[in-house]
Amino acid sequence: MSRIRFEGVSKSYRRTTALDRIDLDIEPASLTVVCGPPGCGKSVLARILIGLEAPSAGRIFFDGEDIAQTPAAERSIGYVPQSFALFPHMSVFDNIAYPMALQGVPRSDIARRVDQAAGILRIGPLLAKRPSQLSGGEKQRAAIARGLLKNANIFILDDPLVGLDFKLRESLMEDLKDMRAEIDATFLYITSDPLEALTMAERLVVLDKGRLVEAGPVDTVYYDPKWLRTIELVGFPRCNVLPGRLDITNATCATAIGRLPIALEDGATSPEAMVAIRPEDIAPPAAGVAPLGVGKVTLVENLGSESVVYVQLDEATLVTTVPARALTSLDLGDPFPLAVRPGGPRVFDRASGRRIGRVTSPSGEMRDG
Amino acid sequence: MADVRVEGLRREFGSLVAVKDISFVFPEEAVTCLLGPSGCGKTTLLRMIAGLERPSAGAIRFGDRDVTALAPRQRDVAMVFQYPVMYRTLNVTENIELPLANDRTVTPAERRRRVEEAIDILELGDARRLHIDRLDLGARQKVAMGRAIARRAAVTLFDEPTTNVEAHAKLALIRAFKQLRKHVRQTIVYVTHDQTEAMTLADQIALMRDGRIEQCAPQPELYDQPNSEFGGWFLGNPGMNFMTVRPVGAGFVVDGVPFALAAPQTGLDDLRFGIRPEYIHIDSNRLPDSVPARVLRRAVAIGGQHLLTLDVGGSRIKAKVSSAAGPSRTAPEVGANVFIVCPIEHAILFRRGERVIEPLRRLDSST
Repeated sequence: MSRIRFEGVSKSYRRTTALDRIDLDIEPASLTVVCGPPGCGKSVLARILIGLEAPSAGRIFFDGEDIAQTPAAERSIGYVPQSFALFPHMSVFDNIAYPMALQGVPRSDIARRVDQAAGILRIGPLLAKRPSQLSGGEKQRAAIARGLLKNANIFILDDPLVGLDFKLRESLMEDLKDMRAEIDATFLYITSDPLEALTMAERLVVLDKGRLVEAGPVDTVYYDPKWLRTIELVGFPRCNVLPGRLDITNATCATAIGRLPIALEDGATSPEAMVAIRPEDIAPPAAGVAPLGVGKVTLVENLGSESVVYVQLDEATLVTTVPARALTSLDLGDPFPLAVRPGGPRVFDRASGRRIGRVTSPSGEMRDG
Repeated sequence: MADVRVEGLRREFGSLVAVKDISFVFPEEAVTCLLGPSGCGKTTLLRMIAGLERPSAGAIRFGDRDVTALAPRQRDVAMVFQYPVMYRTLNVTENIELPLANDRTVTPAERRRRVEEAIDILELGDARRLHIDRLDLGARQKVAMGRAIARRAAVTLFDEPTTNVEAHAKLALIRAFKQLRKHVRQTIVYVTHDQTEAMTLADQIALMRDGRIEQCAPQPELYDQPNSEFGGWFLGNPGMNFMTVRPVGAGFVVDGVPFALAAPQTGLDDLRFGIRPEYIHIDSNRLPDSVPARVLRRAVAIGGQHLLTLDVGGSRIKAKVSSAAGPSRTAPEVGANVFIVCPIEHAILFRRGERVIEPLRRLDSST
């Protein structure tokens, strides 16, 4: 396991900047998810770590040691790529064993470790087969075993579940966590799927357009984001973001869903603000409480244990999550009274995107649970 | 409009049997979603109904009409594919209108009415004169949907129409589909591998596995009363928890359910106890009928809930904790010792993967 440190790391290609002055510490023995939309620079970050590309500027340290001169083969990194990249002429067993054989791990040791991993990943019966005889999910399990069985201090998983179907992803995430518990190393897990990021992360790093937006323990990043871009990118369903105008004297912010009372921190550069309301912070008001407004249901998506309700209120479309048990039957066009959870919604400075406060206690307090 | 009856329908590809002797009725004027993992046979079944795939055995009827031997165009089916099929030289209105223009049984006035209705419901008014090339994939798929619905075919088929469109356009399509359903009732068979889509759109879901229909029911019943462990696992995010049971006296106990339950009349062999993650109640204090558990993992889940992985007497189960649980939004930390309650009214017993149809009773209250 290694502590990884990025100091002012940039990468530019002819016209584009893929990474822009990244400063980042990755804790040893943690599982850190790097997430962000396509093109945010997360795969470039991985390729630079592995040594497939050199940074244009900045330095990278493993346990305090600058790795600029360390060739890729000597960086002690295990890698699980997006595509399976299995050797078609080798059996699944030999594919998995290959990196360990290259490292000179004794044959008996290899067999034991392959068997253990095959047990966790449920590919035991497939070890004698060729990759062409496997389904997509089975190939990915084999690729994961191969990537994770090598002796390494750092493991990088580059969007390992992309393109696999939902239930397969669910069980593979579980298996990956089981594998991770068996391996004493630093894990870097790259994905553009916000729910996968939240499910896998111990620590979370948010990248956007080559810049580091925010990094920290996953609960802090989700529940206490410091930047608008974080709350926009981290979370499922997507956060509601409404333009607002601050009235600092009266401590309110005027939005499409009314004038919301706020508590301000420092950092407002102008009265132009953005109010971010997570879907779980919107619900019908408690009995006897006046709603902020009454919207119209435009879609109810049924996820099983919860429903995602899309509500149109004047110009704004708001997304809310409601426990399925709390919903009787909602049809398209039905009225939906809205309230927000006090202390839930955050206020951000529009120009800088920095958090400058939160919504305190709007008139319509939502029903709990 | 007609119902769709398949009888002993089978399709083999060499040694592989993709559809295994299915007999089933798709009811008239209802949306039936065929849902299942890849390779379950759902697309093959749909293609046989469309006439694009010839059955190895069995018959297909639209109402009283046997269509088994008919070519697709003789069957009176409309179909929406994964990729929208478009007439590239025509605009949006003309694309929706074209199949109707070739149908001599439809008067020009009726034709115009149906086309206008589709454009109106699908909110394509601003795009009506645009050429298809100017639209993105999602909007084209809307046009394909409008064209299929405007035809009023005996049967309308959808083959994973949202697979290739991006998330935002997908929502718009699902919404358009729901809008259409409010106004026009047709016999629809809709194939998807996406459980959210099926639960959102279907009047009933036919859950498929290994070439068979495992269970067909409206969403609430399929979700809460699955016939099999497969159904409990496949629907839900994550799926149902399953725990093994231990015989005790005249009944049995489950880790996580502290009281003895009455044995089903069929005996205790190979039983498993199933309960969904959202029904498990977690508390830091001992409650009546609670058992101790330890938090192994914790993750942030949909809508800011916490998803906990718990160790209960050696079994590993998942539980969802609502984000509205308390003002500080605290869920127990990894390593914390907690107490859980599994309400038996939300539990289901399975034997070798099949549901045991007998209500669960506590042993002490039954005597």
